[in-house]
Amino acid sequence: MEPVAILLATAAALLSVIATYLAIEAKDLLVATVFSAVQSTAYALMYYILMAPDIVLVYVPVSVGLLPAVTILLIKKTERYER
Amino acid sequence: MKARELLIAISIALMVLLLAYVIELGGLGPLAPYALRDIARAYLEYVYNPWNVTASSMALEAVTAIVWDYRGLDTYFETSVLFVAIVGVATLYRGYRELRGLGGVGLSEIVKTSTRVLIPLILVAGASIAIHGHLTPGGGFQGGSFMAVLMVLLVVVFSLDYAFEKGLTSSRLLAIRSAGLVGILLTSVALLIAGVVAGAGAYVFQNMAREGSDLSMPSWFLDRPLGGTLFLFNVFESLAVVSGLTLTFIVLALRKEEVDQALATGEWCE
Repeated sequence: MEPVAILLATAAALLSVIATYLAIEAKDLLVATVFSAVQSTAYALMYYILMAPDIVLVYVPVSVGLLPAVTILLIKKTERYER
Repeated sequence: MKARELLIAISIALMVLLLAYVIELGGLGPLAPYALRDIARAYLEYVYNPWNVTASSMALEAVTAIVWDYRGLDTYFETSVLFVAIVGVATLYRGYRELRGLGGVGLSEIVKTSTRVLIPLILVAGASIAIHGHLTPGGGFQGGSFMAVLMVLLVVVFSLDYAFEKGLTSSRLLAIRSAGLVGILLTSVALLIAGVVAGAGAYVFQNMAREGSDLSMPSWFLDRPLGGTLFLFNVFESLAVVSGLTLTFIVLALRKEEVDQALATGEWCE
């Protein structure tokens, strides 16, 4: 692989780790959902760099579109802040 | 987000980086070889191979060919699992009634106008991913979830009332979903039925001619490779996925007045 591609993949991977930790720590569940979407975006970029376009096409709508939509619906129906 | 949390997150990321470096150096055991394995090479050779049709699926996309042809039964059961999950969600809310005129107005006019511009773009992108699933990356599930995002956008931006008014009711969605599944079922046994009728040998999930069976799905449409069953599977799967995911979202988005019906009766009510 190209060195630039490896660097990009590494940066995306590190961003996903940071976003995952922040999503777990956040007490505001809406903020946690946004961080989770950031992590998914980084994963989608990694899949693309690792030459798996099929997974990218299923990952983008499900984890950036549908999963946050359902999570936000559930937050709206329950509670926004974690106790 | 406090500075302390960010600091901990960055240190975890650094730990992952160092761990990856150690693995790359081979410090935690031998690494998988870079060379192609035999099974991968066999798939690459046979996925589109007009000189050896009995081992080929005549599709240009290896992933779709493996998912729906070489490993078709696995994917069939995956689709069934998704269907059972959606039936579970519908059962949990059984007895709800879709009410009109609860006063949902949706988002502002600016958002509505820009969504109107987006609707055909997402629809065309999703449909092309599904229909070209045997030629380019993508397939039925990918195209279906693209179009499901469009439906979610429609419900969120224009309100649930508008969606019901436009005929996006759950009974209709369930009907589309079931039609898609029946289509998948019929496609998987189509050549078997043809074989029984014609008195020739055939297999379940058969795509191209195989050893002991001369029957074959069409492999060309005008000047394009069609992939036989792959095209039909992708189309039906995208229908099933878009209606199933939309149904789940609509059922989860029901208002309090509608769910109260289910709580009051606990059974289906007309």
